[in-house]
Amino acid sequence: MKDKQTTLDSAISTYTLNNLPNGVFITDVSKDIVYCNDYFSTELEWEPDALIGKSADIIFTLASKVFYQTYLIPTLLHEKICEEMQLTMINGKGIRIPITVNVKSDNAGLIYWSFFNATKRDKLYEELIQARETLEQQAEQLKLLASTDELTTLLNRREMKYRSTLAIELAVRSHHSVALIQLDIDHFKKVNDVYGHPEGDRVLKELGIRLKEFSRKTDLVSRFGGEEFLILLNDTNQQDAILFCQRLHQLIGEVKAGENYIKASIGLTISTPDSIFKTLYAEVDAALYKAKESGRNKTELYNRTGIKNINSMP
Amino acid sequence: MPISNDVLTRNNVKVIGTGSKTLMLAHGFGCDQNMWRFITPVLEKKFKIVLFDYVGSGSSDLSQYDKERYSGLEGYAKDIIEIGEALQLSGAIFIGHSVSSIIGTLASIEVPTLFSKMIMICPSPCFLNFPPDYLGGFEKQDLLELLNLMDKNYIGWANYLAPLVMGDNNPSELTGELSSSFCSTDPVVAKGFAKATFLSDYRHILKDIKQPTLIFQSKNDSLASPEIGRFINENITGSELEVVEADGHCLHMTHPEQITNSIFEYLNK
Repeated sequence: MKDKQTTLDSAISTYTLNNLPNGVFITDVSKDIVYCNDYFSTELEWEPDALIGKSADIIFTLASKVFYQTYLIPTLLHEKICEEMQLTMINGKGIRIPITVNVKSDNAGLIYWSFFNATKRDKLYEELIQARETLEQQAEQLKLLASTDELTTLLNRREMKYRSTLAIELAVRSHHSVALIQLDIDHFKKVNDVYGHPEGDRVLKELGIRLKEFSRKTDLVSRFGGEEFLILLNDTNQQDAILFCQRLHQLIGEVKAGENYIKASIGLTISTPDSIFKTLYAEVDAALYKAKESGRNKTELYNRTGIKNINSMP
Repeated sequence: MPISNDVLTRNNVKVIGTGSKTLMLAHGFGCDQNMWRFITPVLEKKFKIVLFDYVGSGSSDLSQYDKERYSGLEGYAKDIIEIGEALQLSGAIFIGHSVSSIIGTLASIEVPTLFSKMIMICPSPCFLNFPPDYLGGFEKQDLLELLNLMDKNYIGWANYLAPLVMGDNNPSELTGELSSSFCSTDPVVAKGFAKATFLSDYRHILKDIKQPTLIFQSKNDSLASPEIGRFINENITGSELEVVEADGHCLHMTHPEQITNSIFEYLNK
């Protein structure tokens, strides 16, 4: 028993940093290496003593150098210690090796570095980063699918309601008005009946593209139902909205279904300081109904004293 | 179009000083408007100064961060343009640090009336090497690894780039101050800004700058060498280059007096 203890004591007494299975080195205030253990020669293929007196820069990749200069060193200034940094080291043969580093500094400006090879851990990080990126992409894709109409790629009903609500709230806060426009293709059922559903779909798609191009980036354009489109014009007054609707009739009139050009009825309303989406939608819907009732292919403006036809076009 | 009040809040816009001329000061990557505090006390006596934080930096409104918009420097240039519109700026003088010099350039090309003069502090239009004609300082692998290390190290981004921008030989108190509380950047945003900054190549836009331009470059700067300064100088008609005997990438913090003197001299010409 005593012999065993003696052997152990003797082994420990001869044990040095060179016996440890990790890298250790010390740098001075100029970032020159003043000590490194045998790990550099046994595992990292540097010639023994080749690094003494050299700048620590030569054992790191450029990116790692930027990283330790910009993060590790200032952290040491404050905390005197910096743990679990991942950096990339270059071995004696120029091979890049990911390492995990713990560093501490003393008052004399010496920096004590200890590190482990992190090749396997790095693979795990890579997989995690890849998984996160895939998840982010999928989440974006799902968000897009959930918020857009498949046929026209415009906003769908749910997204339009959500964004319009926010836009109206913002307008109220900023003392601006928004215009809400509801557009319904006249006699669209006939297009499907006469030319077939593929042609009907093509018409909706073309109109969708044109509406999107025609609107400003800040406007919200949606397919709200079958042949019904809902548009919100941000920061727009009644005069500009009326002009917009007149141009809209011209634009719609350029879209063909089979041999004929399509037409549409439009309802329009302008927000007031107490508007919310629900009331504005009810207003625009009433205006659209009136436009259809009174002969179609026209715009009706909702106003609080009643609905009036502002469209002189046939 | 965003409402002007929203833009001013979004970008934490501050207007200080008095003067007939307006200076717009745009901070660089990994920092915010506080980085200008060494030169603003002198400048604000003679100029009106517009300070702001890009969305995602400093005290900007992080909820306005749009990954797509800010995936390129053009998105950041929009911030500048929208601030200019909100404040109805015209013929202002733009001062940009580092990547902001390029962001300001993009804005000046998009809206030529916005700025009458450009001042660039340690700019680089491209950090990548394209030997033998252009040496931005980094190989693509280095920059990708840098971005990768940002992912793998769970660290406080507020500290990022501190000593590099200050230079190795600058006093540690200054470096410490900068790294502890000087700049504030959200980690998610920082990665996007880093990508947009480090992997871009805007050398081709320099020739489109019509404004007289003053370029400050540091003699010893790991991010933007004097050669890059000379390249910019050669590519902008009517530009002047001043190479400052200094270390680091942050001349307006390490050599504020020299920088403000040169700015006054340049603007009085």
